[in-house]
Amino acid sequence: MEILSKKTAVLFILPALLLMFLFLIFPAIWTIFLSLSDYSLLRQTLSFVGLDNFRNLFSDGRFWNSIQLTFIFVIGSAVIGQNILGLLLALLFYKKDNIIKSITSNLVIVSWIIPSVVVAYLWRAFLNPDYGSLNQILNFVGFSLNVDWINTYPMLSIIVFNTWRGTAFAMMLYMSALETIPPSYLETADVIGASLWRKLCDIIFPSIKTYMGTCLILITLWTFNVFTPYLLTAGGPGRATEILPIYTYFEAFRHMEFGFGSAISLVMLMINLVFALFYFKLMKGDNK
Amino acid sequence: MSKKILMWAGVLFLVLSVSISVSAEEITLSVIENAVRDGKNHDVVEFYDAVLPRFEEYMADQGKNVNVELIETGVPDEDYKTRLILDLRAGEGADIMGFDQFWAAEFVDGGLLEPLSYFSDDWDEWEDWDYFFEGVRDMFEIDGELYGIMSGTDLRPVFYNIELFREAGIENPEEWQPESWEELFETARILRDELDDVIPLQVNAGEQMGEATTMQGFYMVLLGTGEELYDFGRGQWLGASQGLYDTLEFYETVYVEEELGDGGLQVQSGARDRTFELFQDERIAILVEGIWFWESVIAPGEAWGIDDRDERIGWAKMPAQEPGAGIRGQDFVTISGGGGNVPNPNTEHPELTLELLYFLNNYESKLDYWDIRGARIPARRDVAEHPIITENEFASALTESLADLTTRRPGFEEYPSVSREAQIITGEVATGSLTPKEAMREFKEAVEGIVGVDNVYDTYFNNY
Repeated sequence: MEILSKKTAVLFILPALLLMFLFLIFPAIWTIFLSLSDYSLLRQTLSFVGLDNFRNLFSDGRFWNSIQLTFIFVIGSAVIGQNILGLLLALLFYKKDNIIKSITSNLVIVSWIIPSVVVAYLWRAFLNPDYGSLNQILNFVGFSLNVDWINTYPMLSIIVFNTWRGTAFAMMLYMSALETIPPSYLETADVIGASLWRKLCDIIFPSIKTYMGTCLILITLWTFNVFTPYLLTAGGPGRATEILPIYTYFEAFRHMEFGFGSAISLVMLMINLVFALFYFKLMKGDNK
Repeated sequence: MSKKILMWAGVLFLVLSVSISVSAEEITLSVIENAVRDGKNHDVVEFYDAVLPRFEEYMADQGKNVNVELIETGVPDEDYKTRLILDLRAGEGADIMGFDQFWAAEFVDGGLLEPLSYFSDDWDEWEDWDYFFEGVRDMFEIDGELYGIMSGTDLRPVFYNIELFREAGIENPEEWQPESWEELFETARILRDELDDVIPLQVNAGEQMGEATTMQGFYMVLLGTGEELYDFGRGQWLGASQGLYDTLEFYETVYVEEELGDGGLQVQSGARDRTFELFQDERIAILVEGIWFWESVIAPGEAWGIDDRDERIGWAKMPAQEPGAGIRGQDFVTISGGGGNVPNPNTEHPELTLELLYFLNNYESKLDYWDIRGARIPARRDVAEHPIITENEFASALTESLADLTTRRPGFEEYPSVSREAQIITGEVATGSLTPKEAMREFKEAVEGIVGVDNVYDTYFNNY
C-alpha cells in the first residue's frame, strides 16, 4: 500500500530542501565564487583573480603550519580525547545506577552546555600564571610551581580544554549505544566466564561500531571547525595555536580579505568532505 | 456593547500615543568609542558624560529634541576597527565614530567614508577652524579633503622604573638618558644581572600588539637607523636595507641573544594588557610607550595605576643607534599618531551629525576633554595655551624635548597592511623563529605582494 503519492512526498520535502538550499548549498556556491575573487571589505571593486588565492594559500607557510596544528588538535582532542574518554565513561557507568554515575555524568554534561565564552573565561582564570587556581592547587599540595600554562603548553592547553568541553556528547551517545546491546549476550558471556577484554572485542565493539562511526564523524567535523580555542589563546603565542578556523578569521575579519578567507574555507570544506567519506567507507566496510 | 466601547477606547489610545510621539519628534544620534565605563579608556566615557547633556540642552534651546547615545566597547583596537568596517560596509553604524588617524586612508580608499563637505555645504563656515594647528588638523586630510576632526596627537618616550634602577645599583637613576642603543642595552644588562624576576626591557614586537608594535616598537627602532617605512625621496616602500637589518638585529639582541626582554610575552594573547600589568607590578623595568601611558594607564586610580607614579617612574628620550644616526641626523627619535572623531556617511541626520561633531570639538568641550583625560598634545591652539595643558609638568617637558624630533606614518591606504608585516617579522625575530636576514627576506616579499614589486626598494640583498 502506498502511504504517500510521490507528488505529496515531494511537496512535504520541498520546504526542507528549500531551507537547505538557502542556508547550506547557496553559501557553499557563494564561497566558491568569492574564493576566485579579490573581494575585500576595504576595496570598492571586485575582480576575478582565478586561482591566485589558492596559489598564495598553498605557498603560505602559515597555512601549512595551520593545517598541521589542526590535525594535531583534531586527533588529540576529538579522536583520542572526546571519543575515548566518552567511551570510557560510558563503559564505566554501563548497567550501574549510583550517585557517582549521576554526579559525574551531570558534571560532564554541564561542561558541555555552559556558553563557550563563560567556559573560556573560567579556563583562563584556572590557568593564569599569577592567580590561577591550577597553580594554587599545585602549590597547596607541595609543588612550588609558577607555570604560565597557556603560553608554555599552548597546544596541550587547547586540546585538554576542548576534550573537557566536548566529552559529554560522545559519552551520551555511547551510553545510548550500549543500551541497544541485548542483555542476554553479556549474560551468556558471563555464564561461560569470558574475560572483560573478550566481551569488549566480541560483543560490545561490534554492536556499537556504527554508533562509533557516527560519533567520530560528528565530533571530528565539529572539532575541525571549532573557533572556541581563540577565546583561550587567540591563536598564540605567536602562531602556536593558529588552527584553520582562527587562521580564516584573521584573514577574513582582521584583514578583511574575504576572497582569500573564502579560499581557506573552501579548502576546509574539502578536507571535511574527505573526513566524512573516509568514515562512511569505514562504517560500510564493517557492516559486510 | 461594552466590548465595542473598549475597542474604540483602544483605537483612541493607539492614535493618541502615535501622535504624541510624532509631535515630540525625538531624534537619536549615536557615538561609538572603544571605551567602557570603569574599564578601558574610561576617561573617554567620562568626557561624554560631561559633554553630551550639554549638547542635548543646546539643541533643546533651539527647539530640537535630540538624544545622544554613547555606544561603549572595550576591546583590542584591531577588533574595534573590524567592527567599524563591518558597520560601515553594511550601511549602518554610529553617527560619529572614535577613530584612529591611520585608518582613514584605507577606509576612504574602500569607499567607507565621505568628507565633511558631504554632511553640510556650510561645513567650512565653522569659525573654530582657525584655532586648529594645521599640522594636526590635516592628519585627517586625504586628497585635499577633511574626513574628521583630530582630538590631538602624541609622542613616544621610554618609560622606566626609578626604584628598580636604584635597586640594581644604577647611579643617578632620575637622570638616566641613554645616548645610543649600546647604552640602552648596557643598562638592561645591569638590570638583568642584578635583579631577579624582573624583565629589563620590553620593546613591542609581534602581531598580538597590533599597531602598538609598529609605533612603540618597530618604528622607534627603525627611525634610530635613519630610515623610514616609506622613503618619500624615492617614492618607494622599504623592502630591505641595512637600517631594517639593524632594526631586526636590535630585536634579536634584546629577546634572543642577550635575553634582556621576554619575547614570549610579546606574542601571547592579551600581550598589551599583560605588559601593563607587569609594569605596574614592577616586573618590567624599561618600556617604550606613548605619552598616554602616563595619564591613562599608570596614573594613580587608573586600570594599571601606580600610586606614587611621579616619584617612581621616569622617562627618557629614545636614542638613535649612535648619536646622529637617527632620522634627519637626529640623536633621539620619536613618532606621532593620534585620533579623533569621524562622522558616518550612513547617518540619517547629516547636518545634525556635523553639528554634534563640531560641538564635541569646540573650546569648552575640548577643555573638558583634556581636563578629564590628562594632558597630551591638543589639536587646538587655544586649548594648548590653557593652564590645563601648560601647567602639566610631564606633558610640557615631554612636548618641549620631543615635539621637534617627531615623525609621522605615511598616509597611504596600503600602510596598515605593510604595518602588519612589520608586526609579523618583529614577532618572528623576538621569538627566535627567524633570523634578522630571513625575516627581512620574508618582509620584502610580503611588501612586494601588497604594493607591487616596482614600489619597493632593496638596498641590502641587491648589493650582494
